[in-house]
Amino acid sequence: MTIFSTDHKVIGKQYIGLSLFAVLIGMALSLAMRYHLVHPDAKVRLFQMLWPDGAPGGQMTPELYLSLMTMHGTIMVFFVLTTAPQSGFGNYFLPLQIGAHDMAFPVLNMLSFWTTTLSFLVLMAAFVVEGGAPLSGWTAYPPLSALGKIAGPGQGLGQDLWVLSIALFCVASLMAAINFIATIIELRAPGVGYFDMPLTAWAWFVTALISLFAFAVLLAGGILLLLDRMAGTSFFIPGGLVVSDQIQARSGGSPILFQHLFWFFGHPEVYIAILPGMGVISTVLSVFSGKKVFGYRAMAYAMLAIGGLGFLVWGHHMFISGMSPYSSVAFSVLTLAIGVPSAIKTFNWIATLWGGRIRFKAAMLYALGFVSLFITGGVTGLVLGQPGLDLYFHDTYFVVAHFHLIMGVAAIFAIFAALHYWFPLLYGRFLNETLGKIHFYGTFVGVYAVFVPLHFAGIAGNPRRYPDFKEYEFLKSLMPLHVGVTHAAYSLAAIQLLFLFNYFWSQRKGKLADKNPWGAATREWNHD
Amino acid sequence: MTNVARTGQTLLIVASSMLFAAFTSAMVVRRATGTDWIAPSVPVWLWAAALLAIAASCLVAKKFYRSAALCGFALVASQIACAASLRMGDVAQSFAAVLVTAHAAHALFGACALWWKGERASLFWHFAGALWLYVLWLIGVWA
Ligand code: HEM
Ligand SMILES: [Cu+2]
Repeated sequence: MTIFSTDHKVIGKQYIGLSLFAVLIGMALSLAMRYHLVHPDAKVRLFQMLWPDGAPGGQMTPELYLSLMTMHGTIMVFFVLTTAPQSGFGNYFLPLQIGAHDMAFPVLNMLSFWTTTLSFLVLMAAFVVEGGAPLSGWTAYPPLSALGKIAGPGQGLGQDLWVLSIALFCVASLMAAINFIATIIELRAPGVGYFDMPLTAWAWFVTALISLFAFAVLLAGGILLLLDRMAGTSFFIPGGLVVSDQIQARSGGSPILFQHLFWFFGHPEVYIAILPGMGVISTVLSVFSGKKVFGYRAMAYAMLAIGGLGFLVWGHHMFISGMSPYSSVAFSVLTLAIGVPSAIKTFNWIATLWGGRIRFKAAMLYALGFVSLFITGGVTGLVLGQPGLDLYFHDTYFVVAHFHLIMGVAAIFAIFAALHYWFPLLYGRFLNETLGKIHFYGTFVGVYAVFVPLHFAGIAGNPRRYPDFKEYEFLKSLMPLHVGVTHAAYSLAAIQLLFLFNYFWSQRKGKLADKNPWGAATREWNHD
Repeated sequence: MTNVARTGQTLLIVASSMLFAAFTSAMVVRRATGTDWIAPSVPVWLWAAALLAIAASCLVAKKFYRSAALCGFALVASQIACAASLRMGDVAQSFAAVLVTAHAAHALFGACALWWKGERASLFWHFAGALWLYVLWLIGVWA
């Protein structure tokens, strides 16, 4: 049966298919949220049909809003940004690029994919169980996430399923990481040294190393959280907590402990999402400028440095958790230090373009868009990395804007670049260039139109994770801004239909591609 | 053992070590921040289970893989019995239960691998044995 295939190419495409499905759901949820933010009192038939309890009479409750937000974040971070760039493209192209016949453990590879799929189904089940999906965000901070039904409708079975789903995802990701690393260490063809690998392979390698160290820690956090929920333990639930007028029979737990476990995973996770994209962008920029990547070795070392330093900075997500100012300073300095390898990469990308004969193909446009977004999103990271500034910005829309630009959108631009670039290998045809370019310009303008204003909302003190801004006097003046953002989000989503059409139409009807049409130097194009 | 198998196992060992490192640091932090820590008393026979782990490793070294696997299964049984006797309402005991159960999962996997794959699973088994000594020290001495 091919659906349980152990062939790396099939599995790669399966991962890409899963991500595509996930991203559509994630996007639909975001539109529902943006709609609600500007029409908090609207009654919508569709909401009522989908969520009879969450939207009685079609009016979205705050709990439903928060559950949509939780599911949006979880789907996008785990099943899109962690799945497509690494497991999708990596599975398909890594063996081809290093001259291996397949991944090191093909059966394990198949199991990783199906465990990921199971994890996705378990997460989706949270929508339909009693109480609906959980409310505690993709970061699932306790006590909210640890208390159970008493803390809110989705905090019962919905949150159980969420934690279970994440635990499964951790297991799948660990299996995948082992496979990627073993493949690179053991299955490189004779004559392919580490520094002969394309930067894409380096990126998948470093990403797999990060996953290996990070997901085990999230798994530990998930197990402890599940026990707090189901076995009556007090790892994260403090004593004397009163919820809905009932005192909780737990003692001594530390919610901050969960934050440490989560962010020890969480910060490396943001690099898991972006590093494979960096690899793709290096390749695309070099192919379409007709030049070698500038500073190849520096690029590989920079990724290793980013991967290593990424484990030392998790505290920057917790500046306001009451940590000592001395720790804050240490985390801040380490955080800003990541700017150095990040800047090395950015300068090398620009130097790669310098003096090149640039072909502005759609893939190249997305790659340039990635560089732009990486810079815009990175600069605000430097702002947030200062504890003094973060005290104010934490939990505002400024953070939302920062991470959407740099993690969400930049990584997705890398996926678009990769699809345009590798489509001839994936399907023997080209994606349509004209549609690709229109889609690029629309998306590029769209994402800036959505996320630049959100920085200003953050600067004005607009908190994130609020379902209804008009409840607060100080947010009322920001409503016009939010209306604009919501309209930009609608347009952005509409433009994605163009890509969807292109993606499916070109698989059957696209222009036929001959061998190595872009004139690339890497092995996957010169494979039989 | 092929190089691929050895590398794969080494990576698995790294991942498992990270899992136990995470549990350990959670335990250190939780003991330091809470005021409710009561040292758990580890049953004497659980220490005897350490002998099972060591015996299994010796048998592996002598290439008696299936006998080693049997010792491994006995170890798992004693671990499950121990974990079942712990009170989850007590924080130190609940940590002990987590560590013992997580180890039991590893030991079960390792013992099955020894039974079916013999020599190819030896590296992981030695790791699992050493890990058990560590877990015992953590819950029996440190805690
Ligand atoms: C030099 C580069 C960067 C710096 C200095 C930086 C700094 C920060 C800081 C301090 C925060 C915490 C803000 C807060 O919650 O108050 C943050 C949040 C975040 N960053 Fe960055 N960042 C950088 C690059 C990146 C990259 C490359 C990604 C992803 C690819 C990323 C993804 C995120 C995400 C997802 C969050 C928010 C998580 C959440 O609270 O839900 N950042 N960043
Ligand atoms: Cu971070």
